[in-house]
Amino acid sequence: MLRVREGDQACFTLLLERHRNAVIHFLYRMVSNQAVAEELAQEVFLRVYRCRSNYQATAKFTTWLFRIATHLGLNSIRDGRYEKAQERLDREIDGVTRQVEDRRRTIEQELLFQAKLREVRRAIENLPSKQRAAVVMHKYEELGYSEIAGVLMCSESAVKSLLFRAYGSLRLRLAHMA
Amino acid sequence: MASSPETCTFDDSVAEELIVGYTAQTLDPDAAIAFERHLKLCSRCRRLAAQQRAVWSALDDWQPHVVSADFDQRLAQRIADSRRLFARLYAFARWIWRPALPLAICAVLAVLFLLRDGPTGGRAVDARSSARIEQQVEHALDDMDMLKQIGEDVTVDRTSSPSRKI
Repeated sequence: MLRVREGDQACFTLLLERHRNAVIHFLYRMVSNQAVAEELAQEVFLRVYRCRSNYQATAKFTTWLFRIATHLGLNSIRDGRYEKAQERLDREIDGVTRQVEDRRRTIEQELLFQAKLREVRRAIENLPSKQRAAVVMHKYEELGYSEIAGVLMCSESAVKSLLFRAYGSLRLRLAHMA
Repeated sequence: MASSPETCTFDDSVAEELIVGYTAQTLDPDAAIAFERHLKLCSRCRRLAAQQRAVWSALDDWQPHVVSADFDQRLAQRIADSRRLFARLYAFARWIWRPALPLAICAVLAVLFLLRDGPTGGRAVDARSSARIEQQVEHALDDMDMLKQIGEDVTVDRTSSPSRKI
């Protein structure tokens, strides 16, 4: 990032290649919508590019990057504006869920898998937004407590409290899947 | 051998941290072995650990989609657009500056002129008002003299009139 600040365009491309998927996947799990996640990720990298001249290497770059992504993700959840504008592939139409074709599974297996996936997504979506962000960063991005605290700008003990409450709720909803 | 929940030696928060760390495999090896030993004895932690494993495995199923192939291209386009917008704003600011400069100079000169003339004008107003006051005072003194004279004439008339004596 320091080289990007100096105007090295190739380093920005490298940075994008290295972190693109992590940011998009994180945002996808935050907002449950691929198109919105990609749109928000574009905004994240655009902000990184715009702020490159002011960047101070006071924290890890990923912490800064995920802080921007979390901020945008939480705003998007709060506004809920994309939810109305976008049609979800797994939305039920007249009681029937549209299925995305996957030839690796039988129809029954696919139905079961989709039902399970829907339950997981609902369980995550029902978490308060900060708990959701903490779980996604901990589970999928494998960030430690201190890194999550850096992103959410709170103490490590507050992060632990958020995470343990979130996992407690998820256990109540998803433990029967064992 | 399973123990009752009361035999758990950990606080709730400590047990929770160990269970989450154990499932996520982030505990250091010694702590993980010690916790495995504890799990054999504590039914409550064993149950919670099994539930946490189920949650972990269910969350694993939620895989993200493949990122659009044109993501980088769209981002490059947005960056180029934002640069163009910035360049336009900069050009507009420079364009607006040219006529604004003489106008600003005129405004500053006008303000300076008013500030310079302000106190002199004030003095002229003061001089005019003091002359008017002097005039008024003179009129008042003249009126008083006139009244005094009339008063004296009236007194002389009273003393010289015989009918008034009765």
